[in-house]
Amino acid sequence: MKLQLILLWLILISSIGLAQELDPLEVRPSLATPRLSIPTNLTTVPVVNPGEYFVPPYVEDIPDDNFGELVKIGRNIFVNTQKYGKRYVGNGLNCTNCHLSEGRKANAAPLWAAYGLYPMYRHKNKEVVTFEERIQDCFKYSLDGIAPMVDSPEMEALVAYAHWLSKGVPVGIALPGRGFTPIKKTRTPSTENGEILYKTQCAICHGKDGLGYKYEDDRPGYMFPPLWGPDSFNRAAGMNKVKTAAQFIKANMPLGKGFTLTDDEALDIGLYMWIQSRPYDPRRSIITNIFMPPPGGCE
Amino acid sequence: MKKLPKILLIITLIGGSLVYWIQNQPPPIDEAARQAGEQLATKGRDNIPACTTCHGSKGEGNFAANFPRLAGLHPDYIIKQLQDYARDPLQTGVKLEPIARDYSKTPRIYSDLTVYTPGTRKDPIMNNIAKALTPTDRKNLATYFSTLPFQATPQPVDFQTLERGADLALRGKPEYGLPSCDSCHGPDGKGFGPYFPPLAGQPPQYLIDQINKWQTGKRDNDSLALMQNIANQLTDGDKMNAAAYFSNRSLIVNWK
Ligand code: HEC
Ligand code: HEC
Ligand code: HEC
Ligand code: HEC
Repeated sequence: MKLQLILLWLILISSIGLAQELDPLEVRPSLATPRLSIPTNLTTVPVVNPGEYFVPPYVEDIPDDNFGELVKIGRNIFVNTQKYGKRYVGNGLNCTNCHLSEGRKANAAPLWAAYGLYPMYRHKNKEVVTFEERIQDCFKYSLDGIAPMVDSPEMEALVAYAHWLSKGVPVGIALPGRGFTPIKKTRTPSTENGEILYKTQCAICHGKDGLGYKYEDDRPGYMFPPLWGPDSFNRAAGMNKVKTAAQFIKANMPLGKGFTLTDDEALDIGLYMWIQSRPYDPRRSIITNIFMPPPGGCE
Repeated sequence: MKKLPKILLIITLIGGSLVYWIQNQPPPIDEAARQAGEQLATKGRDNIPACTTCHGSKGEGNFAANFPRLAGLHPDYIIKQLQDYARDPLQTGVKLEPIARDYSKTPRIYSDLTVYTPGTRKDPIMNNIAKALTPTDRKNLATYFSTLPFQATPQPVDFQTLERGADLALRGKPEYGLPSCDSCHGPDGKGFGPYFPPLAGQPPQYLIDQINKWQTGKRDNDSLALMQNIANQLTDGDKMNAAAYFSNRSLIVNWK
């Protein structure tokens, strides 16, 4: 398995620069199965039934006391990490770029589904981690930055925000909508398919080059976040695992059209994202980073 | 002789920064196109009425009659809309331009082939006007309207409507998987790039009408059917709250 990965890596390196232009008119087998929508223009996206997922409290209901103040700060950090959590962030992302709708959206790793589950055993760290330690990991890898101390004001505010969002959730139970969505692979993912799908389904928002688009006014952060390149998450991030990325993409992307790609298509795009360049894995040495394939390839 | 490398270095640095500066200049306005566009927009031609009679003398739209504003929209967006108004999917015998297949679109099935069109936009007024325009006209008009400055007049809205509208615009309906309007239409609904038109500064009833058109299938020209999926999940109350919220936003557009 390792050998295969290394070979794949070498082939990928040698094929850089050989990528040809795609002809949009050419019929390709991967796209030959059109996504049929019902001719009467009814919705093509599975509609969520009311009550299927937990509904967190509304922003207008944040209490007007000291706790409320802390929650508001936490929300600011979560929504605009580029401004309020600046000293810890190394790239151009905000927490909401991956935890959509301010950490509320089911199947986008919502905070309310996570809060009651920690402390929890995690394979990545091979130990039981607390909620704070989990957030630290997102800072270190997803935001390619440095972890705030567990007793730093930023961390306290973030935990307060998550605590407020999860008002009334049962403790220790994995709620529906937690994490992303499970997927099953039926064939080996292909980067060629991934590239075609990326160009047809994602490029209008994330850019042809995948580097995203900044806001047009001077506010920090991205309107459409980068999927790779120096301002994106690093190689150790959960999103750099082909499977995790595919799970996220399947449930949430293209924005507003979650669950319209098939499992295999999501994996194709996940693999295509994985082969792109992004910041190095901070846990490894430079040499390993340059000569070894990044972690998280498809198993 | 010793100074030469230094001088070379300085020259390359200056040259490099000059090239960088020139490449990063916004492209100049095509003045000829703008004037031709202004002529057509204000005076009209044979069977084309002057756009300004409906869309306002400065392209600012008409709140009372629900004519959208055109001032400050992205030129490519205006061109695309005019093309979509002019396209008739059920007309036979026309030569279709080669278009990229967009499989997320409603397939239109002819007797012998299935076509995935880039979508159409039905409107009794604009369809006829757009069909009379040549591609050059579209470009000229787009250049003219996109370079007009625009300033929105925020409309008064009651507190509760505003709060609900803001919730939709900033957070969407996460429990139904609906993203916020602003995550596509830009912060404060200012619009973003050629694909995402502004909502601020448009007459509220016009916005509601457009969403209704998506729901009834009269409009399906949005890229990747993005807006269609959003529109299909909006209730009548949502439409009104969101439209009121965006009409309450202030907005100043100036061509850079
Ligand atoms: C690049 C995308 C990305 C960004 C940015 C990001 N995260 Fe995450 N986060 C993830 C992924 C991927 C997971 C893993 C979800 C899973 O395994 O199901 C995760 C998991 C979490 C979890 C645990 C969720 C659970 O269900 O166990 C928390 C809490 C969390 N992130 C908080 C944050 C915070 C706070 C920030 C901002 C400082 C942040 N994240 C930024 C991608 C991101
Ligand atoms: C309508 C525009 C749009 C389309 C189309 C779209 N995205 Fe996104 N994507 C977004 C936005 C906006 C965010 C950030 C979410 C937020 O801030 O609310 C995002 C976030 C992401 C993220 C997490 C953030 C990051 O930078 O890593 C990934 C991964 C992603 N998109 C992948 C995809 C893929 C793959 C596709 C194609 C199947 C796609 N997107 C299509 C708008 C879009
Ligand atoms: C008789 C009134 C009238 C005239 C004249 C008119 N329009 Fe329109 N225009 C409308 C209406 C009404 C709409 C909204 C149609 C709809 O609901 O789709 C519209 C919509 C548009 C839109 C789409 C705006 C958006 O935000 O999507 C564009 C672009 C446009 N018109 C351009 C023009 C141009 C260019 C001309 C001049 C050649 C013109 N119009 C002349 C009434 C008019
Ligand atoms: C996933 C991205 C996305 C989201 C989220 C979104 N829209 Fe749109 N919307 C679009 C696109 C794309 C278009 C332009 C279609 C076209 O090119 O003709 C559009 C166009 C519109 C128009 C027509 C504008 C005009 O000038 O003709 C209205 C009205 C509108 N959207 C309302 C909303 C509202 C209200 C919301 C929030 C509930 C919303 N949109 C959320 C993608 C989105």
